Amino acid sequence: MNSSTEATVRRRRFDQLVGVFHADMYRYAAWLSRDRSIAEDVVQEALLRAWKSLDALRDDAAAKPWLLTIVRRENARYFERKRLETVDIDDLSASQEALLAEQPDRELDAMREAIFELDDDYREPLVLQVMMGYSTSEIAELMGLKQGAVLTRLHRARHKLKETLED
Amino acid sequence: MNCDDYKQAIAADPSFDGGAAHLSGCASCQAYRKDMLSLDARISAALNLRVPELVMPELPDIEVDNVVTLQPKKRNTTTWFAIAATVVIAATLGFRMLSTDIHYESLEAEIIAHLDHEPASLVVTDKGVSDARLAAVVPANLSTMGHSAGLVTYAQTCDINGKTVPHLVIQGERGPVTILLLPDEKIDAAVDLSGEHIDGVLLPVGNGSIAIIGQRGERIDAISNKLRNSVMWDT
Repeated sequence: MNSSTEATVRRRRFDQLVGVFHADMYRYAAWLSRDRSIAEDVVQEALLRAWKSLDALRDDAAAKPWLLTIVRRENARYFERKRLETVDIDDLSASQEALLAEQPDRELDAMREAIFELDDDYREPLVLQVMMGYSTSEIAELMGLKQGAVLTRLHRARHKLKETLED
Repeated sequence: MNCDDYKQAIAADPSFDGGAAHLSGCASCQAYRKDMLSLDARISAALNLRVPELVMPELPDIEVDNVVTLQPKKRNTTTWFAIAATVVIAATLGFRMLSTDIHYESLEAEIIAHLDHEPASLVVTDKGVSDARLAAVVPANLSTMGHSAGLVTYAQTCDINGKTVPHLVIQGERGPVTILLLPDEKIDAAVDLSGEHIDGVLLPVGNGSIAIIGQRGERIDAISNKLRNSVMWDT
């Protein structure tokens, strides 16, 4: 295979992977950063980094955790650079408000707000489990935690959500 | 399994299907399970954000022949011509790398930037690299660390400040910990590399230094003590 053909094959492979996992990348970034604009920036950076490192991905079956790991890392880098402070729910930017008030559904909005208010430590495993379909051992692997710690965080996350919504 | 155990398990994972015997005879747990499944359905709906249209960033051209891979590509044919061509390509690439070298403000900045150089190195895994691989990247005259500081799950040589140095990753308590052995980078005092999400240090060791960077909360001190004693360069 000549290098031009290889480049085409490489690009096609990348486009296919991104086509399948872009939504997951964006939603994960949005719930990590709690901001639509930041999520878009993070995904752009993650795509660029994934493109450059594509050849390190040996098995496309592992593409999802690989891409989400890159998103996670890019999100951390973003906040390292910006040194953003913790966001107060009463002092949101338009981009953050857009994350919460997406549809005119009061119950859904209340749930989004409750998830938004969760600590990062609780929100992230919940997103990975409920939205990404990760098992607790996969979450433990991605987040660098013991499985027991993940179970505790998930348990607490759901109880916090219940408490918030019942208030 | 009692009610507390069951409720704890189901709150951590509503798809939990254990404890069937307990569940069948416990109305309280049945109600709790139903409640958790309903909560999860609402969480799932709330998380399901509208996704904007994909805008692909401008992707730079990649020289496919020279892409860095974790394992050497298998060669179908081995000819002198191929070897000669490889030498020419390597020389050209080397020249290009020299001519397009990125300059960092400081050694610390270059180290932090390098963390993202190879995302594959940041994977949490329990599979260590082989002793042979580790010995190839960290020669015995540089360090005797082996797997003593932690399970080494990644070992590559990388360029830092124009020098080829060992880039290792061990699995710490909080996840992957990056280690760069820098025998030619003498510093006067330790430099804190910690940030909001990372804990790290650049340690002076004799005529060189060691960079150790892990996730926030990682026990960097314990790792640095083991590494400090393993290096063989002039201390």
